[in-house]
Amino acid sequence: MTTNAPNGNNGLNRPSSGSSLPKQRGLPSKTKVRRAWAAVGVIVLAIGFLLYKGLGNSLVYFRTASEAVREKAQLGTSVFRLEGVVVPGTIHDTKAGVDFAVKSKNVSVEVHDTANPPQLFQPNIPVVLVGHFSGNIFLSDQIMVKHSANYVAAHPDRVATVNGKKL
Amino acid sequence: MESKGYLWTRRSVGLVSLILVVATVIYGLWITPPDVIQGNLVRLIYVHPPVAWVAYLAYGVTSIASVLYLWKRTRNIKWDLLAASSAEVGVIFTGLTLITGSIWGRPAWGVWWTWDARLTTTALLFVLYLGYLALRRVPADNHRRATRSAIAGLVAFVDVPIVHQSVVWWRTLHQSATVLNSSLSLKIHGVMAWTLLLGFIAFTFVYVWMLMHRYEIATIEQEALDAELEQLLEERQHESEIELAEDVLGDAQVDQPSKVY
Repeated sequence: MTTNAPNGNNGLNRPSSGSSLPKQRGLPSKTKVRRAWAAVGVIVLAIGFLLYKGLGNSLVYFRTASEAVREKAQLGTSVFRLEGVVVPGTIHDTKAGVDFAVKSKNVSVEVHDTANPPQLFQPNIPVVLVGHFSGNIFLSDQIMVKHSANYVAAHPDRVATVNGKKL
Repeated sequence: MESKGYLWTRRSVGLVSLILVVATVIYGLWITPPDVIQGNLVRLIYVHPPVAWVAYLAYGVTSIASVLYLWKRTRNIKWDLLAASSAEVGVIFTGLTLITGSIWGRPAWGVWWTWDARLTTTALLFVLYLGYLALRRVPADNHRRATRSAIAGLVAFVDVPIVHQSVVWWRTLHQSATVLNSSLSLKIHGVMAWTLLLGFIAFTFVYVWMLMHRYEIATIEQEALDAELEQLLEERQHESEIELAEDVLGDAQVDQPSKVY
């Protein structure tokens, strides 16, 4: 096998079909080169977009309930993500969605949500909410359930439930 | 390349992959119990982390092969072809990671996608290696293509540990690692843990099988291109010889004095 032959082609493109030589031989056309570089350019733009979105969203993905209460004056009515554990006994269905409270480090925040909660939404589960403060109430229009890394088999005797249904 | 031993190995790996994947499906769907919180959603865990692991593995192989190409003592075009083949398989598995994660995320989290660090860096990994493959399509001689691809492959690999550690370094919606966490403490037990392990082994075999196929195709393509080049060179040489012969003949005719009768 020739190792460093200047064949002007890449390693993973299609082989020439049959025994006859392909129509385009020798050096690649300018169009082919431009097209390949254009594809690389599109990828570079996509990388830039992901970095922009990542830096804008990922670095401080959420504030815990205790942090949000502490920084409430600074946050004002700006939209941010709030994280906390759903407090048992506070969930009340409403016409628009659901009212409940979330807690972190013994600081709780009342939540008025206007979106349908996900199917895993239940007491004692960590959630991330998208919304803003209105007075002391957090107005949320999106609930995301933050599942833990633990996986535990449901046991019939332990009466494990999801949305009130026995597994 | 296509020796009997290689063919037998490849087919054996394929058969073992098939058996293991079928076993994973049977255990994942019917034998393992539902999760206490997630219910039946947990069944996707037997696929999602294994395919993510295979993506890491594939890019690891790409990186090692890239280093071996860049190192002059071990430089061989075969390392470049192996790196490219593994990256291609890795991109497929990264795509599967994003898709299966999204399918799980919609019912579990409530969203198909969110811009948290794990998801963003995984998407970045996908695009980085698409970029690697796109860079390989830019026409160049073998050595130049292999060198710049190797460098690109190594740069892209920097994102792999970032993806894995993203759930530790930043706050994310994505949960932390169940198996490969910092304390190496399993957060899954019993038949669920064994089925997850089975999934890891099964998809690793699938990766090896796919890599063997892809590498073989890449080698055949390379040989075809090299043969084509050699034929072109021979044709060009033949044309040059004819031109030279014509020139010599022409000169001889000019130099020869005309006879006078």
